Amino acid sequence: MTFSEPTVTCDEARLVYRGDVTLVSISRLYEDSRAILKGVEGDRLEIDLSGVTRIDTAGAAMLDEIAAAAAGMGMTASIYGADQEISRTLQDFSLKPPKSGKDLEGRKMSFLERIGQWLDKRDREILEFIYLLADTFYYGFVKVLDPRGRRKGEFTNQSLLIGMNALPIVGLVSFLIGFILALQSAAQLRQFGADIYVADLIAIAMTREMGPLITAILIAGRSGSSITSEIATMVVTEETDALKSMGLNPVKYVVVPKFYAITMTMPMLTILSIIIGIFGALVIGYTYMGIAVKPFVDQVVNVLVMRDIITGLIKSLVFAWLIVIIAAFYGFRTKGGPAEVGRATTYSVVASIFAVIFADSILGLIFYFGQDIVIY
Amino acid sequence: MGSHRQTEKSPEETIVVEATDLNSGYEESQVLFDISFTARAHRITVILGTSGCGKTTLLKNLIRLHDPWSGSVRLFGEEITALDEPEFDRIMKNVGVLFQNGALLNSITVADNVAVPLEQHTELPREIIDRLVRVKLELVEMGHTLAKLPSELSGGMRKRAALARAIALDPPLLFCDEPSAGLDPMTAAGLDRLILRMRDMLGITVVLVSHHVASIRRIADDVVFMEKGRVLFHGPLKEAQTAGIRQIDDFFTNG
Repeated sequence: MTFSEPTVTCDEARLVYRGDVTLVSISRLYEDSRAILKGVEGDRLEIDLSGVTRIDTAGAAMLDEIAAAAAGMGMTASIYGADQEISRTLQDFSLKPPKSGKDLEGRKMSFLERIGQWLDKRDREILEFIYLLADTFYYGFVKVLDPRGRRKGEFTNQSLLIGMNALPIVGLVSFLIGFILALQSAAQLRQFGADIYVADLIAIAMTREMGPLITAILIAGRSGSSITSEIATMVVTEETDALKSMGLNPVKYVVVPKFYAITMTMPMLTILSIIIGIFGALVIGYTYMGIAVKPFVDQVVNVLVMRDIITGLIKSLVFAWLIVIIAAFYGFRTKGGPAEVGRATTYSVVASIFAVIFADSILGLIFYFGQDIVIY
Repeated sequence: MGSHRQTEKSPEETIVVEATDLNSGYEESQVLFDISFTARAHRITVILGTSGCGKTTLLKNLIRLHDPWSGSVRLFGEEITALDEPEFDRIMKNVGVLFQNGALLNSITVADNVAVPLEQHTELPREIIDRLVRVKLELVEMGHTLAKLPSELSGGMRKRAALARAIALDPPLLFCDEPSAGLDPMTAAGLDRLILRMRDMLGITVVLVSHHVASIRRIADDVVFMEKGRVLFHGPLKEAQTAGIRQIDDFFTNG
């Protein structure tokens, strides 16, 4: 079929189309039509299609759009001159006018309405989070001796995944942090001849703060993301529904073994992180500052009290629970298709790292101001 | 499970699934309107209708994956909407569900999938569980896939494996969501034969959602015809085809 270049001209309140009104030339034709439309006056617009040889869905859509634009300018558009085939195309591919009263979504919401809706949504999410928290603690602690409904062998598996496999990265990062902290503080301490206190500084910093925090951030990134994506995938592929239909609680089956695994491995990883971090500082102390190994270790052992270690371990437990519950929460609330899994994972990691740092500040304050009250 | 069968006086008359005045939906939009129907023992009841008429939502309400707004659902004569979780789980041990895409647990093998309900709900020794798993998988002609992961299977095989899992505990009631969706006609027919065989061999009551006319003709004893969230007809398949309801006639001629 040969292509006949379309044109649009204006004849008083009449748009006259000729040629093939098809996809290839629509954008130009549409702009021409809009430009012409601006100059048209009156309350009626006639669209003459008698010269049109061919029209496709894009053409029909354009004519609809022109008619709508005309209506927006207070004109009633009427189409005439179309042959039978073109009329049918127009009829088949025109948008049906929206049903009145149904088109609420497009309506602009007032400010208050939006706040209300946002709160309403958050309200439900907070409730879901609390349910998940309650379920996890209930099945995790109260039902600890009742292994029914938990995935078999999953505790070992998850302990390996969350704990064992994270050893190299936690070790490496802790070493580097201890190493670099010692290096940075060495120059300052040296000015006062207080070189040996680098051991105190690093020991306390690693035990109370850096050890639990580094471990938690690494585990949130490593295991938090994998927990979310695993659960989100299970939700998307109806696996959680299948579990429910088999009379199994998804929280007990999927989350609780991970909860146990992280509860056990996080304190261990934290202790490891503390030791390796202090070792990193020792390397700097020995090579750069000329402190012998024995005095360094003695200094560390002398400065650390039980309270520091317990503080670190309590922090690591709180962080572990935050990570696993936030990760599970974002996994379970996933709706829709596979693309949502990625999104859920991102939200989960950001949220759990934020929660860890926030909780660290709160716990820091509690331990700092509460140290006179709390007796270990 | 056994107890349910013993209490049956005339099996064909026993009502296994009963929904009464069920209303349900998502957020603001209502999907189901006053749905009432029953499914009788040892029969295959097919919930049918065009896409978007609420079939799958109805199925989800029947197994409490979605909570109804109002109305009641009874499985084996027990009202399930008000049950607490352990009580409901006890009932669900007597119910098998075959999901549209199988919904096998992707991280474990086919055999482990079939073993899940056996491990979690029975005290059977490991050897018996292994044997049962093999029996169920052979029943669905999947004996050769024991050690495979679900991702290594085709769509039809995944559904058959899921069917094996659904019948692992010999449930007296089986729900199936679109068993023939996404399958070629031959595989779909094979799956239909399997479901018929389950019914005949194990005396299972089946409630099945479908819009595949050929499949419905092959397996349905009773049908529940839905349109726009309402039940238009409920009764034996033969009566549905001769009832002279325009929508049903259209469905069967165009499907």
